Amino acid sequence: MAITHEDVAALAHLARVGLEKEETERAERELENILGYVDRLQKIDTTGVEEAAPEPVAAHAFRVDEVTACSDKVRAEIIQNFPASQSGFLKAPAVFERPKS
Amino acid sequence: MKPLNELTLIEARTALDAGEATSVAITDACLAAIRERDGALHAFLDVWETEAKKEAEAADIRRAAGKKLGVLDGIPLAIKDNLLVDGRKVTAASKVLEGYVATGDATVIAKLKAQGAVFLGRTNMDEFAMGGSTENSAYGPTHHPKDPERVPGGSSGGSAAAVAAHLCIAAIGSDTGGSIRQPAAFCGIVGLKPTYGRVSRSGLIAMASSLDQVGPMTKTAEDAAVLLEAIQGHDVLDQTTAKAESFAASSVANSDGSLKGLRIGLPKQAWDVPGLSSSVRERVSAAVETYRSLGAEIIDVELPYVDEALAVYYILMPCDVSANMSRFDGMRFGPRAAAGNLLETYLMTRGMYLGWEVRRRILLGTYALSKGYYDAYYRKAKKVQRLIQQAYATAFMQVDVLLTPTTPGTAFKIGEKINDPLAMYLEDVLTVGVNVAGLPAVSVPCGEDSAGLPIGMQLIGKAFDEATILRTAAAFAHAP
Repeated sequence: MAITHEDVAALAHLARVGLEKEETERAERELENILGYVDRLQKIDTTGVEEAAPEPVAAHAFRVDEVTACSDKVRAEIIQNFPASQSGFLKAPAVFERPKS
Repeated sequence: MKPLNELTLIEARTALDAGEATSVAITDACLAAIRERDGALHAFLDVWETEAKKEAEAADIRRAAGKKLGVLDGIPLAIKDNLLVDGRKVTAASKVLEGYVATGDATVIAKLKAQGAVFLGRTNMDEFAMGGSTENSAYGPTHHPKDPERVPGGSSGGSAAAVAAHLCIAAIGSDTGGSIRQPAAFCGIVGLKPTYGRVSRSGLIAMASSLDQVGPMTKTAEDAAVLLEAIQGHDVLDQTTAKAESFAASSVANSDGSLKGLRIGLPKQAWDVPGLSSSVRERVSAAVETYRSLGAEIIDVELPYVDEALAVYYILMPCDVSANMSRFDGMRFGPRAAAGNLLETYLMTRGMYLGWEVRRRILLGTYALSKGYYDAYYRKAKKVQRLIQQAYATAFMQVDVLLTPTTPGTAFKIGEKINDPLAMYLEDVLTVGVNVAGLPAVSVPCGEDSAGLPIGMQLIGKAFDEATILRTAAAFAHAP
């Protein structure tokens, strides 16, 4: 299957992966190679074959969906791991560039 | 007695129990070996010297007071850098997690702590376990203990090199497509990938969740059994862990070394893979003869879809990867690129701090899961996965163990394959089928090539039958 420059750019945008110009070209080449290899699956007859699936899990096997307490120490460690924080909260760039007034 | 850092896990435990060595002495011997050799090897990303010494002292005090915690009390281990140890740095060898400190223990680590294990440090790996050479580490490659110009294999290359060079008594790795077994083969140690569902992955930084498994990397099969017994078990924090019958390390003991009644299958297709070197063929064939002399019955079997298993793997794995990697976006941990808006922040953070291999797999997974391609790739791969599982099940109706080489060749040169992803992926051709089928397999050293580089054979077992493959592995090591 041919992968175009535009395909790679669209994928990179969807996956939120920044690529330099030469990386886009490299990805084009390498993805095509790998897809060429995996294309051998198309030759296998899978008529009537079910998809592989994990063992079903009984509903009662799930944990109770409830809030569990987090110690102050762990809370402080989590905040410490934030790239940016303010007053003990995670600080992130604005989702909307110009909020409606 | 040999130098303390060269002891096997069972020898170290016996010495500790007999009062012939202390945990402090064994730990110090490992730390001294790390100081002496790791500058050149780069097996460790961090050595926890102060903490390890404290843990060893505490183990000795417990033991003296008759309050030994478990079979691993005082045993120094090395841990792959994708398992969380509370309060310690963990990066999965990626810049995107630089500076991150774990806020809890992985289940495997909690279990090892409950047994009293000592942690020497975190070992180098391919970034997010993506690779087969440890060259994809964002912190520089690990070198092979026998030849600094060669790779130790990967992705658990740091753990493999650390065990082979006696920088630790044993280590923990993870295996998604061969990342425990291939470096074990390259470095001449034992590496076990347990059955999917045997060991919890809670606190393992996920690569491909439908395939990942944590396992031991050790000097002997008996050591692997001791570690597997310690880390196994159902875990409410990992929905995929099975309520299977527990594995007992004692089940690996074989009093007379005979393998009478054991049926070993040789899948014909495994001997036809591209690039299988003559030395690997020769040494693994010699191992088969050893098994015959121990009384095992050797049976030729069919195992179709060897090439297709690799193709299935290189579809399913990147699909899992593209989902799992989405959390590394510079928002909640790791560095965040300074950009004008949110979209640019995502693009730049992931572009700057995720390595090339990781980004390529994200792109590949995103492609295979996208509208119009999902049926042709993901759904097709899941169907062929079912056929592969059935092929193994059919083979196991005739035999108890399947035997193949672990890798087509021995350790390659640093830089030799790094620019050819397909050549690197073909390294996994003999190991990925096991992950795709969810089975246990162990790589066992079975000789060297003419350059003195280790060769490994792979013993594959039925689901949750680690006991048989480890017993078979141990019998080979003890064969006259």
